[in-house]
Amino acid sequence: MKFKSGVLMVLGLLVIGVLVMASPIELTFWGGWTGPDGDVMRGLVDEYNSTHPDVHITFTTMQWTPLFTKFMTSAAVGNPPDILGMHGPDIPQFAALNLLSPLGKVVENAGFTATQFATAAWNGTFYNGVQYAFPLDLHMNAIFYNKALFEKAGITPPTGWVSGQQFLNIAIKLTLDKNGKNPNDPGFDPNNIVQYGFGLYSLNWHAFLQWYELLAQQGYGFLNSQNTKVDYPTEAGLKAWQWLQNLVFKYHVSPVGATNPLNDFLIGKTAMLEDGPWEIPACQAQKGLEWGTFPIPQVFGKKAVWGSGHVLTIPVQSNKVKMQAAENFVIWLIKNSSKWALSGNIPALNTAREYAYSLPGRTGFLESAPYEVMLPRIPMEAEVFSAASVSPIVVAGQDIMVRDQDILPVMEWMNSQIDQILSR
Amino acid sequence: MKKNLRLSLVPYLFLIPYLFAFIAFRFGPSIAGFFVSLTKWNIIGTPKFIGFENYSELFSDPSFITSLVNTLYFMALTVPALIVLGLLIALLVDQDLKGRTATRTFVFMPYVIMSTVVGVIWMWIFDTHFGILNYYLSFLGIKPIAWLSSVNWAMPAVAITTIWWTVGFNMILFLAGLQDIPEELKEAARIDGASNWQIFWNVTFPLLRPTTVVVLMLTLINSFEVFDQVYVMTGGGPSMATLTVIQYMYFQAFQYFRLGYGSAVAYVVFAFLIILVLVERQLLKKVGEA
Repeated sequence: MKFKSGVLMVLGLLVIGVLVMASPIELTFWGGWTGPDGDVMRGLVDEYNSTHPDVHITFTTMQWTPLFTKFMTSAAVGNPPDILGMHGPDIPQFAALNLLSPLGKVVENAGFTATQFATAAWNGTFYNGVQYAFPLDLHMNAIFYNKALFEKAGITPPTGWVSGQQFLNIAIKLTLDKNGKNPNDPGFDPNNIVQYGFGLYSLNWHAFLQWYELLAQQGYGFLNSQNTKVDYPTEAGLKAWQWLQNLVFKYHVSPVGATNPLNDFLIGKTAMLEDGPWEIPACQAQKGLEWGTFPIPQVFGKKAVWGSGHVLTIPVQSNKVKMQAAENFVIWLIKNSSKWALSGNIPALNTAREYAYSLPGRTGFLESAPYEVMLPRIPMEAEVFSAASVSPIVVAGQDIMVRDQDILPVMEWMNSQIDQILSR
Repeated sequence: MKKNLRLSLVPYLFLIPYLFAFIAFRFGPSIAGFFVSLTKWNIIGTPKFIGFENYSELFSDPSFITSLVNTLYFMALTVPALIVLGLLIALLVDQDLKGRTATRTFVFMPYVIMSTVVGVIWMWIFDTHFGILNYYLSFLGIKPIAWLSSVNWAMPAVAITTIWWTVGFNMILFLAGLQDIPEELKEAARIDGASNWQIFWNVTFPLLRPTTVVVLMLTLINSFEVFDQVYVMTGGGPSMATLTVIQYMYFQAFQYFRLGYGSAVAYVVFAFLIILVLVERQLLKKVGEA
C-alpha cells in the first residue's frame, strides 16, 4: 500500500513537473500606444508569441500618464511589468528611483552599437551616463499638407526644409476668407475665414514644443547644463514666441485656439498641420484625403525640430528567468522593428529605418530625423514638462497664442515657475 | 429573548459584505489619506513626515486658489440651473399631456451617455470655426465664439454641457417626488379656489421639500466634484480658466506623484463639502420653519 502511494506520488510530481516545464514563461509588456500604433505593436507581439512557444507575452496598452501611475503603484508593491515602453525623456524620473534595470551590458552583448541607431534615439536611452533602455524609434514634428488644396492654390509642395518666409508665403496663399481673399489682399476679412493655411496646437503642451524647437533653431536649450535652472537668452525666447504668435494674430494663417487641429486638417479646413508621425494612421484612414509631409520651416539659423523617441525598458525585478526572457524579446523586437514603421514612428535602428522610406508620407520625418532635439532629461520631467493644464509651459503657450498676451511677462512668469519646481 | 437577539442581528449580517468593502476601499484609505497628507511621498520608498507643511503650501498656492474659485464659479453656474430646470421639466412631464413619456425619455437620455462621450460630442458642437453652434449663431449675426478656448466662455461651455447631461437625473428625482404627493390635497386646494400657482407654492412645493433636500445635496456634491467633462473638453484650460479642485488633486497625486500634497487637497475638498452640506441643511431648516 505504502509502495503504491509512493509510486503514485512520484508519478504525480513528474506530471506536474512536465506540465510546469512545458508551460511558457509568462511576461507582461506595457506601453502607451493606444491608437493604430497599438495594433502594430500587438501584431509584433503576436508574431513573437507564435514563433517562441517557450514564452508568452501579454501586451497591455493605456494612455501614457495613467500607464506611468499604474507602473509606479505596481513597482511600489514589487509587481512591475516585465517590459515597459516609454519615451527617452521619461527615463530619468524612473531611473532616479531605481525602478529600471541598467541595460548597457545587455545592449552590448546583443551586438548593438551607437552607430547602428539614429543618434538622438541612442542618446535618449541614457541617464547620468548609464544606458537604461533599447531605442525603438524616433518621432518628431513635421508639416502635414493637403495635396488637393495645394494644387488648387497652384503651389508645389516643398520636399525639404524651407525658410520661415517661404513657409509663411505658402500659408498666406492657402488662407481664404468667405470671399476667396488671402490675408495679403485688400478687404480680407479675418472674422470670416473659411480655410486656414496652417493648423498648429496652441491649447496643449505642443505650443511649448513648437517654441522649444524654434529656440533650438537659434542654437539654445531651455535649461542650464546642470538642468537646475531655466537658462536661455530672453531675446531668443521672445523671437521664437513672436513667430508663433504672429502666425495667429498678425498674419491670420492659423486659427485662434483651435480645439482639434487634427480634425480640422483631416476634413480640409486647414491646408497644413504641424504634428507628429503618430497621426499618419489617421491621415491614411481619412477617405479622400491625399496628403504628404515636409520638415517644419527653418525660421532661424539652424535646422532643428522637437522630437522624442520610444524606448523599451526592463523594470527591476527579482525573477532572473523572466528578466532574461524579457531581454530576449526586446532584442528580437529591435531587430524586427522595420514593421514598427507601419505605426507611423520612424524606427531607430538604421537598417529598420530603410523600410520607412518605402512608405508614403514619411519624407518630412525622415528628412527631419538628423535634426531632432529632445527635451532635457531630468528626474522632474513629469512636472516640469507636464501636459497638464496647470503646467507653466501649457499656461504660457495659451496666454501667448490664444489670449494674445504680451510675451515678455508671460515668458518671465513661465521661467520663474519652472525654476521654482526645479528648486523643490 | 434569544430569538429576538438573532432577529435583530440579521440586518447587520446583510450589511457585513458592504461594510467590509466600505472599510477596505473607502473608510480605510480615507483615514490613511490623512496621514499621507502629512508626508512627502511619491509612492516609492518611505513617506517623509512633514507635519502640516502640505496644507500651508496649499493655501499659498495660486493654482489651488484658482481651482477653488473656478469650482465655486462652476457650482454657481450649474446648481441653480439644474435645480430649477429639473423641477420645471418634472412639473411639465407630470402633466397629463400628449408625448410626456417621450419627453421624459429624451430629457433623461443624455444622462446614460458616458461622460467622455458627452465631452467629445460637445467639443464638436462648440468648435469655434467649424462647430454647429457657432454656425447657427451666425444666422443671428453673432460672430464666432471661442467657446472652449476663451477664458471667459470655457467655463460656461462646460456648464452648459453639464446641465444638458445631468438635468434628466434631477428631473426623475423631482418627478418621483411629485408623484408621491397625494392628488386629493391639490384637489382640495382647487375646490377651495386656489390658483395653479397657489397650489404649487402652498401645497406641491412644501411637500416636495424632502426631495428638494436630496436633489440639492446631490447636485452640490456632484458639482463640487466636477472632473470628467473638464478633463475631456478643456483639460482645465485655457490658462487654468476651467481648472477645478478635483482635477488639481489628480494632477498633483497621479501625474506629479506628489501623493502627500494631493491628499492634502483631498482633505480640504472634504472639509469644504462638509461645510456645504451643513450650511445647506441649516438653510433648508430655516426655510422649512418659515
